[in-house]
Amino acid sequence: MTNVADAATVPGQAPPPVRTSIRDMIAQTEIDLRLFGMLLALGLILLTFNILSEGKFFRPENMITLAVQATGIAIIATGMVLVIVSRNIDLSVGSVVGVIAMTYALLMAEWLPMLGLAADFPFRWVIALAIGVAMGALIGAFQGFIIAYIGVPSFIVTLGGLLSIRGAVWYLSGGAAVSGLDPTFQLIGGGAQGSIGGALTWALGLVGCLAIIALLINGRRQRRRYGFPLRPMWAEVLLGVIGCLAVLGVAAFANANLWPAGLANRVAVEQNWGAVPEGGWKIPTGFPYPIVLLIGVTLVMTWIATRRRFGRYVYAYGGNPDAAELAGINTRWTILKTYVLMGVLCAIAAGIASARLNGSTLDVGQTYELYVIAAAVVGGTSFAGGIGTIPGAVLGAFVMQSLAYGLSFVGVNSPGQNVVAGIVLILAVGFDTFNRRRGS
Amino acid sequence: MSIRRTTAFLSVVFVLAACTTGGGTSAAPSTAASAPAASAPAASEPAASAAACTVGVSWNNFQQPRWAAHDQPNIKDTVEAAGGTYVDKDADLSTEQQLTDVDTLLSQGANVLIILAQDTTVIGPAVQKAKDAGVPVIAYDRLIEDPEVLYITFDNVGVGKAEAEAVLAAVPTGNYVLIKGDPGAPNASTFLPQGWDDAGLKAKVDSGEIKILNGPAGGTGEWPKDYGTYTDAWDTAKAQNNMEAIIDKAVADGNKIDAVLAENDSTAIGVAAALTGKSYDPYPPVSGQDGDPANLNNVALGKQFVDVWKNANELGKTAGAAALALCAGGDPATLTLQDGLIDPSVAPVAGLTAQPFETPGGNTVNSFILQPTPLTAENLQLAVDGGQITKEELCQGVDATAATAPAACK
Repeated sequence: MTNVADAATVPGQAPPPVRTSIRDMIAQTEIDLRLFGMLLALGLILLTFNILSEGKFFRPENMITLAVQATGIAIIATGMVLVIVSRNIDLSVGSVVGVIAMTYALLMAEWLPMLGLAADFPFRWVIALAIGVAMGALIGAFQGFIIAYIGVPSFIVTLGGLLSIRGAVWYLSGGAAVSGLDPTFQLIGGGAQGSIGGALTWALGLVGCLAIIALLINGRRQRRRYGFPLRPMWAEVLLGVIGCLAVLGVAAFANANLWPAGLANRVAVEQNWGAVPEGGWKIPTGFPYPIVLLIGVTLVMTWIATRRRFGRYVYAYGGNPDAAELAGINTRWTILKTYVLMGVLCAIAAGIASARLNGSTLDVGQTYELYVIAAAVVGGTSFAGGIGTIPGAVLGAFVMQSLAYGLSFVGVNSPGQNVVAGIVLILAVGFDTFNRRRGS
Repeated sequence: MSIRRTTAFLSVVFVLAACTTGGGTSAAPSTAASAPAASAPAASEPAASAAACTVGVSWNNFQQPRWAAHDQPNIKDTVEAAGGTYVDKDADLSTEQQLTDVDTLLSQGANVLIILAQDTTVIGPAVQKAKDAGVPVIAYDRLIEDPEVLYITFDNVGVGKAEAEAVLAAVPTGNYVLIKGDPGAPNASTFLPQGWDDAGLKAKVDSGEIKILNGPAGGTGEWPKDYGTYTDAWDTAKAQNNMEAIIDKAVADGNKIDAVLAENDSTAIGVAAALTGKSYDPYPPVSGQDGDPANLNNVALGKQFVDVWKNANELGKTAGAAALALCAGGDPATLTLQDGLIDPSVAPVAGLTAQPFETPGGNTVNSFILQPTPLTAENLQLAVDGGQITKEELCQGVDATAATAPAACK
């Protein structure tokens, strides 16, 4: 067996015994079983809805709608993981999203034109986003300061934030809905024209595939250099092949979603594409911008959580606050930074929410806090602190949203949706707790 | 001890008696019990002329921009134009504060009260006090459960009717999507759907001319409860997510969406965002109500077909004129509005004379029930003229030179 040969090449390591059972083989691939289980659960949910809707559910356009609807919650959930891991909570996220979304809308519809930056001024969307991100960071820093340095419990501080910031949204607009965003800004919200297109989607898939292979090779090299046990070669190849196929499969699936015929015909006339081909225009949309944003945020946040000093400090503090303090970690500064990060993520989510609406209303972001916390917890984040992963939270958000979207799709009304969401939340955490107890 | 008990007992009896005669159902009228009978000067007999008339208005929440923008100036102008005096108080969403406010208005010499009640029954003791002082009460916009009030409001069932009439006229047959508001709101589950039925929706569903695409999950259900999609808290983003799922389902089923009945403006914005985001073609008519500026802009842009608007200016004028008439000793049952006071399009269906109205609490009150105004691309100018929106706001993003541009934007 190759694994024996591989292991034997590592000096100073006893060769592991030859294993044959399926469970041992899975263990050798070092797949995160929790994450794998959640993927299976998500697949099961999608499959159930597909059966309930007589095969009309699992289609590219539906899956893209579902994914875009989940992006806001998923992006904030990546930050909520770090907040909950460090034994805190943030209830203010929905209101922060609301106030920033309203700011974006007012900036582009009223304030910037008043300053003479009319609709034709370039990069208005960049100015708006920069102001929104700065606002989010400031709100986060303010709340984080009170929590970390003054010592008021985070539940109280952010509960206050939830109420007072939502009130501030009212004062910004006087309760009215504001519409009329910058056309470029609107692309953040997705839709056929807010997507990166077929070629870029394939390119992204290819880059993803190469990155997986590069990571596997690099990981193997590092392990060998520091004398860690290696995965058997078959497992490495298997992971590479499955990873690549999955990434390229998702890209192909996204590219199977086409521009709506009406839109394609209209744009074709506007831009002189020439005669309509037989069977109509077939233009793949590929990934919408909000999903590209989510992928980027997930990668960066995973990198921060697992590879940066800040991220490791967060987990160290969550695992044992006293030990972290004694080890010389500036815990207060670390906690404050988690809230700053949260504010920035809220600004990104607010951008997506307002772009999707082409404006903002008084209630944008309402109840986000509940869904974000639910996503993080369903994704395996523990309120006891120290435990939780970014990809898990993103998957959690997708599980929650696929239930909401799927139930909507098969015609179950909002009271029914809430009942199911609540039960799934308890089941997911209950199952997880049971597994952990059995494991320990 | 016994004296104390007796006094307490007596005061409870007194309060209960006061309550039952007033028809109020409030269980805790402590404010009324502690305060002595109101000392309202010159209230025992009706004022002889409008010149001597003081109209007191008790708002429940003046923070909401609508009252200051439309209702208050119209009441005030109507009263002052006839030589009367206008005084008002704001309760800032507090039922207790409103009881105090009514006391204050009475002691300021109000000869007639216009009350926008924070609560339809808790306001009972205050109304009783006004009645004891011989001061007539107008229930403004919101009902007060008391047989002697004059109720001035908009026809809420008529709002739903106006929505459905406009959309049914544009799309008499086809596939409809129903977007409803919060499942806990009576307006969302009962009154607006009842208005839709008054316009003939149910008859057309029964005859098969109209198919509801988002009907009950199992295929059969109770009308109208199980038809359409509810929107928790009337939340725009939720309405958008729901509508996206409904569009996806319709596309998957090969169904075309011909029209969307959305109950109000916040849900209509979500529906319009979903249809626009999905580049749905051809764009179906969408309804709404409230006359919110963003929605009127959508009407001008062709993203919303009809926005049913309650013209609060006319409601204010009606209340002002009715207050003056009551002040002059007019009988509420035969009270008639002056011809030409309000726009004919909003005048009550039953004419300009007060009509009996059965309240949910079992009382019969005199009432003026004004009609809402359905605004479409054709008559948007009404909203500009009524001060609901400026022309700039209304026509933001509209190409005024295009043939399809509404008249109000040209």
